[in-house]
Amino acid sequence: MALSEALRVHLQSIVDAHDVVLFMKGTRLSPQCGFSATVVGILDAILPAYHTVDVLADPAVRDGLKDFSEWPTFPQLYARGVFVGGSDIVKELQARGELQAALGVAEATVKTPTLHVTPKAAAVFREAAADADGLVLRLEVSSGFRYDLSFGDATSIDVVVTVADGLRMHLDPGSAYRADGTTIDYVVGSQGGGFTLSNPNEPAKVKQLSPLQLEAMLKEGKALTLVDVRTTTERDLAYIEGSRLLDAAFEHELLAMDRGSPLVFQCHHGVRSLAAAEHFVGHGFREVYNLQGGIDGWSVTVDPDVPRY
Amino acid sequence: MSHHHHDAPAGDMCAALRAAILTAIPDAQVDATGGGGHYTLVVTSAVFAGKGMVDSQRLVYGAIAHLMKGDNAPVHAIDSLRTRTP
Repeated sequence: MALSEALRVHLQSIVDAHDVVLFMKGTRLSPQCGFSATVVGILDAILPAYHTVDVLADPAVRDGLKDFSEWPTFPQLYARGVFVGGSDIVKELQARGELQAALGVAEATVKTPTLHVTPKAAAVFREAAADADGLVLRLEVSSGFRYDLSFGDATSIDVVVTVADGLRMHLDPGSAYRADGTTIDYVVGSQGGGFTLSNPNEPAKVKQLSPLQLEAMLKEGKALTLVDVRTTTERDLAYIEGSRLLDAAFEHELLAMDRGSPLVFQCHHGVRSLAAAEHFVGHGFREVYNLQGGIDGWSVTVDPDVPRY
Repeated sequence: MSHHHHDAPAGDMCAALRAAILTAIPDAQVDATGGGGHYTLVVTSAVFAGKGMVDSQRLVYGAIAHLMKGDNAPVHAIDSLRTRTP
């Protein structure tokens, strides 16, 4: 058994410290696997808050839990210190209407989100509502932060927010959790009008960084980590001073870092590094850059001493 | 960061899952489908009678644990596991 006594005590302290704990791949706002996303979606609909642990961020926890729970897969759901099950069991309990009892929670008490609707957007909604014929205005925010504004039927689990004088918006509980703090505006441009949504809960996105911008950051002495995602063969041909090749050990170190640490990803031309950068955004890093054009762009615009290949 | 799967033919791995479950639960009826590291299992046995879902599924997972161990495990995921009594 891989489970040391120290790790067992640590895991027990996590499940004891929170009423409901979900050990999952990724985070609540950014699940990294379909099974975890399914369970997050189900829990979001019935629980205002629960604790999640990203097992991808800690291989020891990930391996230890398999023995701790006697369960080989993730996600793993605990309620009041007791193992409830994996995604199949959570789905089954929900289908039977037994999940809330299993979690020991009463009726859903979802916090009403704060939504800001600009007067322009409100005017468009009001105009559309006049033709909506008994349907209600709905806002959906998917777990991947895609948005849908529509008129539809009200449901009994809806969270209803009064967003302007006489204007109400319906959200399912999961959307309500993800939408809190969102501003909805209506903007008219050359292509016609459209709604724009600005949501502070949206996970960070990878920012593109030109070689010159990276050079400026390095000159300023900005504390960033430059991650080379190429192969060792490519690195033997050329590398950017201060970068480090991403191997398993480095990945482990990165995942242990503060999520506010700036990370810059770099490959040959900027494509592989974008995928790697998105992976780290998925792990909750908030300041993640992709070096546009990769080491080739760096060589062309900043440092001709770096060989091109 | 990427998932590696052994390239065993899907049928072989379904047969291996079935055999592993039958070793632990001899009276089981096992329906194993899938491929590419992802499998769906429906296991029917009297042994699940009176057991909760967690204990029932633990019996099955325990029987196939050796096929799911490690980063290069031939079984990457059980997409769905259902246990039933006859």
